[in-house]
Amino acid sequence: MPSPAATLRFLAAEGASRILGNTLLTLARSTAGFLLGLAAAAALGYLYTLHWAAREAVRALNTLLQSVSVLVWIIVFLILFGIYSPLPPVLVSAAVSLPILLSSIVAGLESSSRGLVELAAVLGAPRWRLYPDFLLPSLLPQLAGAARAALGAALRISVVAEAMGASGGIGYMIENYYSLAEPVGVFAWGLLLVALMVFLDQLVLARLERWVKEWATLPRR
Amino acid sequence: MGDAPPAVEARCLSKRYGGRTVLDCVSLEAGRGELVAVVGPNGAGKSTLLRILAGLEEPDGGSLRAEKPLGLVFQENMLLPWRSLRDNIAMGLRYRRLPRGEAEERVRRAAELLGIADYLDRRPGEVSGGTARKAAVARMLVLEPRVLLLDEPLAGLDAASRRSLLEALRRIADGGRAVILVDHSLADVAAVADRVYVLSPPPGRVAAVLDLAALPPGERAKRLAEAMLRLAR
Repeated sequence: MPSPAATLRFLAAEGASRILGNTLLTLARSTAGFLLGLAAAAALGYLYTLHWAAREAVRALNTLLQSVSVLVWIIVFLILFGIYSPLPPVLVSAAVSLPILLSSIVAGLESSSRGLVELAAVLGAPRWRLYPDFLLPSLLPQLAGAARAALGAALRISVVAEAMGASGGIGYMIENYYSLAEPVGVFAWGLLLVALMVFLDQLVLARLERWVKEWATLPRR
Repeated sequence: MGDAPPAVEARCLSKRYGGRTVLDCVSLEAGRGELVAVVGPNGAGKSTLLRILAGLEEPDGGSLRAEKPLGLVFQENMLLPWRSLRDNIAMGLRYRRLPRGEAEERVRRAAELLGIADYLDRRPGEVSGGTARKAAVARMLVLEPRVLLLDEPLAGLDAASRRSLLEALRRIADGGRAVILVDHSLADVAAVADRVYVLSPPPGRVAAVLDLAALPPGERAKRLAEAMLRLAR
């Protein structure tokens, strides 16, 4: 078992460019996957508001997405695109983000006040503007919390996908040192991943969530 | 009201939810330039009546004729917190594709009428509850409805804000619109209303109609006190 000091020394010896390059690659993949999941969830939310049949289809899809194991997604995308493709980590991140975000949107739409729908009608908003102008903005405070959870999950899962088949990134480095039987390397890159997640969650996402909630919520008088 | 047909004419409206009668043959009229108030206790069907007048619900019985367009100010302001009052007020105008200058002019006129012109660039969280409520009224007013309906617009406001809003509603009615508001408090609305319909406890029926239009303030208070005494018996 490598000591903490040995782990830190190993990490320092890896060099800034190698650490930065692989970290940014993992971040880019997980963020791209998250944004893909967010766009898909927002689009499915729009479909949900259009017709009862679409609503039932979105509900069923949400249940299906929640029940599929991450491992299944990783294997499917690796089979489809190959281990050297940059797509599997991105798509796996999207597949993990999507049900978290979609569940939040669907729950929000199901509990959203009838008042907003009636306000839109009284203001003369066409039906296709109801979702983007009234319903989606009203969901932003709770969606911000879901987005924080989804981006964290996307990062964790993209690392797993990188470990199983990718040509770079934190997950790739962990797998690489595991194959070379160098536990200090596994620990060093694992430590980096933990530090990155804590930094992202506490210093970036938590603040972003707070800001969105303040921005989109009226203060109580 | 003169000889002109009323802007809103409801005859013997009734509404049931399941086996429960909420409105029982309620009739009501409001002419152009009139401010009409509907007051009554909780559960008397005031909001249901307003929703029927607005076309959001169908009555189970009776007839209704109302001039269009018709604006409804909801009990909750439902202003978008991240938009300025100006943008909130102009929201309905976006769907009417008005020229920008005309839209801005309508917002300015409505804000001045309601006394909130100085707050247009602030967000709803940065203004008082009374100003936010007036912004919600202005959002409907810019659509230039012939009939303006308000669901408990005075709820949650302090005395000064209530008085200020009622005076603004009086000015809106004086501008030629029919204004109908529902509220709990007979005392608040009697000061400015031309006519007050008092609904009975559930199921809501018209228990009294007070015509106050031509009465001086002192006489209004007397008529109000008499009506309240009658209802209390």
